[in-house]
Amino acid sequence: MADKKEVRRLQDLALEMRKKLLNLCGTYEGVVHIGGDLSMTDLLIGLWHHGMNVDPKNIKMPTRDRFILSKGHGAVCMYIAMCLRGFFDYDEIVRTYGKLDSAYGMHVCKVYLPGAECSSGSLGQGLAVAVGMAFSAKQKKQKNRVFCMMGDGETCEGEIWEAANTAASYKLGNLIGIVDKNNQLMSSMAGEAMSFEHYSDRWAAFGWNVVDIDGHDMNQIVDTLDKLPPITNDKPTVIVANTIKGKGVEFMEKVVGWHAGSLSKEDMEKAMVQVQAAWEKEKVTP
Amino acid sequence: MTQQRPGGPGGPGGPGGPMVRMTRNFGSFGSGRSVVGQTILELGQKYDNVWAMAADTGGSLAAFRQAFPDRFIDVGIAEQNLAGIAAGLALEGNIPFISGMIPFMVMRACEQNRTEIAYQDLPVRLIGTGGGLTSGGGSTHNAMEDIAIMKSMVNMTVLSIGDPNMIKDILILSMTYPHPMFIRLAQGKQDRLLYEPGSITFEIGKGLPVRAGKDATLIAHGEMVFQSIEAAKDLEAEGISVGVIDMYSIKPVDKDLIIKTVRETGNILVIEDHLMEGGLASTVADVFADSGVYPKKFKRLGIPQVYAGFGSAQEQRKKYGYDKAATVAAVKGMLK
Repeated sequence: MADKKEVRRLQDLALEMRKKLLNLCGTYEGVVHIGGDLSMTDLLIGLWHHGMNVDPKNIKMPTRDRFILSKGHGAVCMYIAMCLRGFFDYDEIVRTYGKLDSAYGMHVCKVYLPGAECSSGSLGQGLAVAVGMAFSAKQKKQKNRVFCMMGDGETCEGEIWEAANTAASYKLGNLIGIVDKNNQLMSSMAGEAMSFEHYSDRWAAFGWNVVDIDGHDMNQIVDTLDKLPPITNDKPTVIVANTIKGKGVEFMEKVVGWHAGSLSKEDMEKAMVQVQAAWEKEKVTP
Repeated sequence: MTQQRPGGPGGPGGPGGPMVRMTRNFGSFGSGRSVVGQTILELGQKYDNVWAMAADTGGSLAAFRQAFPDRFIDVGIAEQNLAGIAAGLALEGNIPFISGMIPFMVMRACEQNRTEIAYQDLPVRLIGTGGGLTSGGGSTHNAMEDIAIMKSMVNMTVLSIGDPNMIKDILILSMTYPHPMFIRLAQGKQDRLLYEPGSITFEIGKGLPVRAGKDATLIAHGEMVFQSIEAAKDLEAEGISVGVIDMYSIKPVDKDLIIKTVRETGNILVIEDHLMEGGLASTVADVFADSGVYPKKFKRLGIPQVYAGFGSAQEQRKKYGYDKAATVAAVKGMLK
């Protein structure tokens, strides 16, 4: 069991992050990919605030764990997780998001954002890049891990499975995939168009070590990250995190239209109350 | 500019003759792939951040693989994945050399080349074999759009190499070049030897005038350079003085040399083993339009809008009108 105090600290951060996401969604003139942001909020808090070895004062620290956001449309979720860790300034994100020459755009752009490991936005491509980084780390005998956050929808792309095949073939134990399995694509629920049945078995069949968790249970997230196999493991690991798209906002949860959108002031305030209520229900008391 | 050695092709140096030192074995064959394999091995010995990669097409990299198994990656037939992995390696400070067949390296992995490698401006080296109609595999394996595709990518440098020995200079130079590179080879096995090794200076963004002429200039890349030199010799025997430029650097291209050449001879013929649209000829035509320095006559020879079938490269070049005889006829037509 994970330390309750730590779990609660992370839960509090996740609540703050949800509110910051909703605030942006309610104030930015364009759309925010709010559905998938809310589904991976707890995972990103777990990674950036507990699981990964990173230092906001030394962003290129050679021993840092690498993080690639393959589902690049969740960029703002990463910006805010990193901002809460001290990498970026939230006010600057809100002030410049999506604007000309901003470092903070709809998709991760390494050219403009020095703290990003890799640009992303075209789906299904991040895992191969992570495999390349894992190869390099292994060959140089580095101690770090490479984490790659994917959406379940983008695992329809063939390149994901090409990369999965390579990672298992070359026994890249320092590679950790995380799938934000929210059972939705942009325009359909899982099963309406594409099936995601036997999902974990697919990864296992490719030779990966698979850990299934509830992607909103901070206790499970912390526990999983604490108990990752050593980097010398003969298999890469994938955390299949079962999540809810739009998590915490009742009118968004499992609704196809909320892949991306913007919020009226009224809806934003309603959403803030709902995420607070969800937190009240789920928070642990140390 | 150096005088040609005795025993080489053409007459003595001077107007109408060679402007660079042709090899004693001019026109005999060498293997670009072997040079690639040997050079990458040597670079691997010297630099610990050199990686060699292939998608089941790494035969020429066998020596590297044996020497440095932990810096060699064969991903099987998965070119998109290969490009992504190369990007990941490059993000970590490595210089990955990918060897493969052009159509799959360029087109199957087109978006990965663009979004992972070019967008992030990473020093990945894509070394493709089978340029033009040299593969013999038919249209699936022909490489006739690759230059058009790769030169459209921001940050991407596009080179096309005929002389197998030139590839060595390029790969060595690439160690200090911080941008992505696409290096197009012809067949890679039976490549014509052109220049005395070590006698020419290779520079990205420069073209190499290999033969002087005053009536017209042939601008070519890859295998078409040898053919152009041979055509120029035939024309010389008929009293027509034709210059030849090896335009190995297609992007960036040597604009100054193109403009200078237009002013010198006025008649420009571009010959390439690539679609006539979108390749070097289009780049050269852009230089005319952008500079306002126009030739008297301009013609292009290459692959027309057709998916070619089978047969040797030579047979197909004849069929589609860009072999040596067609080049000679085209020059005569321009000078009428």
